[in-house]
Amino acid sequence: MSYVFNKQDENTPSSRRTFLGRMGAAVTVVCLPQLAFGNEAGKKTARRIVSVGGGLTEILYALGAEKELVGVDTTSLYPQAATKLPSVGYARALSSEGILALSPTLVIATEDAGPPAVLRQIVTAGVPVSVLSANDKFEGVIERVRHVGALIEQTTRASQLEAQLKQDWQRARAPILARKTSAPRVLFILSHSPAQIMVGGRKTSADAMIAYAGARNAVDGFDGFKPLTPEAVIAAQPDIVLFTEQGMSVVGGMDGALKLPGLAQTPAGQKRRIVAFEAMFMLGFGPRLPQALSALDQALSNAMQS
Amino acid sequence: MTTLPAVSELLALERVTVSLGRQSFGPFTLSIRPGEQVAILGPSGAGKSTLLKLLARELMPTSGQAHFDQRPLSDWSLADLSRRRAILPQSHEVAFGLPVELVIGLGRVARTYDSNLNSIVQQAAGQACAMHLLGRRFDTLSGGEKARVHMARVFAQLWDAEQGLLLVDEPLAALDPGLQFELMDAINTFASRRGHAILAILHDINQALQGFERLILIKHGKLVGDYQTSHVSLSLLEALYGVCLVCATTDEGELIVAPSLKRNVPA
Amino acid sequence: MARTICGLPQQFASQPAWLLSLLLLLGIWAATAMGAVTVTWQDWLAVLQSSDQPLSGSAYVLWHLRLPRILFAVLIGATLALSGALAQGLFRNPLADPGLLGVTSGAACAAALTIVLLASSGIDVPVALRYWLLPTTAFAGAVAVCFILDTVARWLTADSIAGLLLAGIALNALAAAVIGLCTYLATDEQLRTLSFWTLGSLAGANWTLVGALLATLMLAFWALKQLTHTMNALALGEAAAAHVGVDVRALRVRVIMLVALLSGFAVAWCGMIGFIGLVAPHIVRLLVGPDQRRLAPLAMLVGAMLLLLADTAARTVAIPAEIPVGIFTALLGAPFFLVLLARMRRGV
Repeated sequence: MSYVFNKQDENTPSSRRTFLGRMGAAVTVVCLPQLAFGNEAGKKTARRIVSVGGGLTEILYALGAEKELVGVDTTSLYPQAATKLPSVGYARALSSEGILALSPTLVIATEDAGPPAVLRQIVTAGVPVSVLSANDKFEGVIERVRHVGALIEQTTRASQLEAQLKQDWQRARAPILARKTSAPRVLFILSHSPAQIMVGGRKTSADAMIAYAGARNAVDGFDGFKPLTPEAVIAAQPDIVLFTEQGMSVVGGMDGALKLPGLAQTPAGQKRRIVAFEAMFMLGFGPRLPQALSALDQALSNAMQS
Repeated sequence: MTTLPAVSELLALERVTVSLGRQSFGPFTLSIRPGEQVAILGPSGAGKSTLLKLLARELMPTSGQAHFDQRPLSDWSLADLSRRRAILPQSHEVAFGLPVELVIGLGRVARTYDSNLNSIVQQAAGQACAMHLLGRRFDTLSGGEKARVHMARVFAQLWDAEQGLLLVDEPLAALDPGLQFELMDAINTFASRRGHAILAILHDINQALQGFERLILIKHGKLVGDYQTSHVSLSLLEALYGVCLVCATTDEGELIVAPSLKRNVPA
Repeated sequence: MARTICGLPQQFASQPAWLLSLLLLLGIWAATAMGAVTVTWQDWLAVLQSSDQPLSGSAYVLWHLRLPRILFAVLIGATLALSGALAQGLFRNPLADPGLLGVTSGAACAAALTIVLLASSGIDVPVALRYWLLPTTAFAGAVAVCFILDTVARWLTADSIAGLLLAGIALNALAAAVIGLCTYLATDEQLRTLSFWTLGSLAGANWTLVGALLATLMLAFWALKQLTHTMNALALGEAAAAHVGVDVRALRVRVIMLVALLSGFAVAWCGMIGFIGLVAPHIVRLLVGPDQRRLAPLAMLVGAMLLLLADTAARTVAIPAEIPVGIFTALLGAPFFLVLLARMRRGV
């Protein structure tokens, strides 16, 4: 499911805004760019895209739309070239004027993007905002590729990318599905600061990745991310602990990770089975998903053999 | 106890009691006439301050009647009452370091329109020997200077009133003797010119004997005596404080009372 | 009459209101010229001409985004500073502020409860209503805290400000616990909304809000004129204030309601923005002294200026991105306050 902020959503009592009413009810994503902000002549000029969400930026690059990209958020770290683009900042604290200053004709964003008032302001200023659902499944990636392809009128390339992704996905999944060994228990730890250490429960992106890799999430008693407690860690008895690279450095590398409360009493802690990946690569659910799955599978297998 | 015609009473308590937690005080029955100068004496914890709070309407009586100027005390609005009676506190901090003239002016805060405010503040400060403190911040003053400013505030409050009541709570206990004398003198001068009655809680027996015409004695939360100063005997005071006292008379005929170091406490 | 700290020009002490107003106007003018989009005099012309032509490009940004945002920052700054000044006067404590009273966290608590409970109850709120729902409940939370505060404090120890302050601390802890529980129960999506509340942001500004806030502030200012004179007497302490004829209880209720209205409104629309309510009255007290009659209006001017400065920095430092305004209120407020404190120490 995805939706587009529509002009009718906004109450616009000021006389200055009466023009919005005349735009009519049937304003669609396709016709909006012609009326868009910074496009006074009204004729079709080059598309200018602001992408809010690392996975979406990767899709845009994969579809060859990098020339049309004029701004990205702080999670858009891949490919390297994306970090050279103007940054519109943290996805949850966007600036309407900052984004409008980039004269975009289209804003593509994840559900994380906000605050809602800012998205409304951008839509009201005549720039369509497409919010794509954060479905953390392989099907979700395919859906986003198709959707972005339609938004930037690159359906052919999108179909090619989709075929390629499906092929890569099967190649990544085949050995996992064929394996007969018992599934290891994996605990995912997320930490933004030493004082805030969370573990990933059900319905998280980490849970999905663990399942795809043929492993079992060591915690299945709750949804979402919850604070880590030593007793819960011991009760979970993980064989492997999975970190993001960013989280690993926050807790102080491998040594710091092993010192986390409770971890020493688990198989993972005793056998030093700790695995870390770059956050956007492992959990971004972008076009690198098949590679990420292969890499995770490889790392988990290596860890279990050590 | 003296019974006086009701017409001339400024303040009258009729079997007033008050309960504070488990303690109860009273019953108090007493009356103050306009222009009278009364001292309240008694050992620490006897209930002097509680009596003063009753008279100030800070505490409401649990039972009994309290009248101020023929009207029940509870019928007076705070603003109306503030034009007739003022309270000089024991010691008082003021938050935020307000300027001295503003503190003095606060005595008249209940008056919505007060055209003479500035001149009254100046005159009240002069009367309280606080002229030189104007323009300074209250929190930079010494203890004696703060006492003068509060006195000036009280003067300002009753500056244009007549036959009011000035309640004074051990105001000068912490000050040096010279300043005590000076300030007590200022209070007496201020009050007598306007016919204000003074009711003062005092620790210093000599000050009470010399400066006040009537003494009210309080012990264990009860009123134990109400006398013209000239009728007070040494044994009454000895019973009140539970100490032996000696007295001496100066060449000018002034009476000085002091605790005895030689005699034993009377049974 | 009021003395100023050493080293300040005399005319500043005597006419600070005019000078501060002038500075604020200059600040507003400068802020309109700053931002991600370049604004020219033609855009001003387009805005000022009352034609039916829809505004476009930079003129649109100027009229629909930048101007309301700037005025919103000014008004919220004044609102926070005024509620801070009133709370400090009421509690005879220069460190009191609506945060201390639990009013701010009460508002945030109500908002957090709404976010989490509404989702789990499964009620589908229409989009138009959803826009107003959180601000309304946040304001209701602020008012509720104030009423509880007043009742509990009176029940504990009649007319004692210490009792009120203690009740505030207890309510703060309670609100923090409820917010913590909500954060624990919240889904990722709800956490996103909660984070807006805790970060604080002026991004939601529009002309309707500016109008509503201006009306609230004018109402508060009118009520203030009758309160500030008697509020000075509270500095004497509650007993002495009653002795000089002030009805302390009635005064307290009126001030509390005013504080609830002002800080509840600010929290409802902008989340929690710290430091302004604490620092602005302090700065004014150091400049012109503690007289409430001058303190309250001047604190509004200083608060407006501080938040305008902070928000302009938040908007422009990392163009095209935006930095949370709370970081700048702390960065601007704290050192300024320290410098003034040091000067006062030397000066007196």
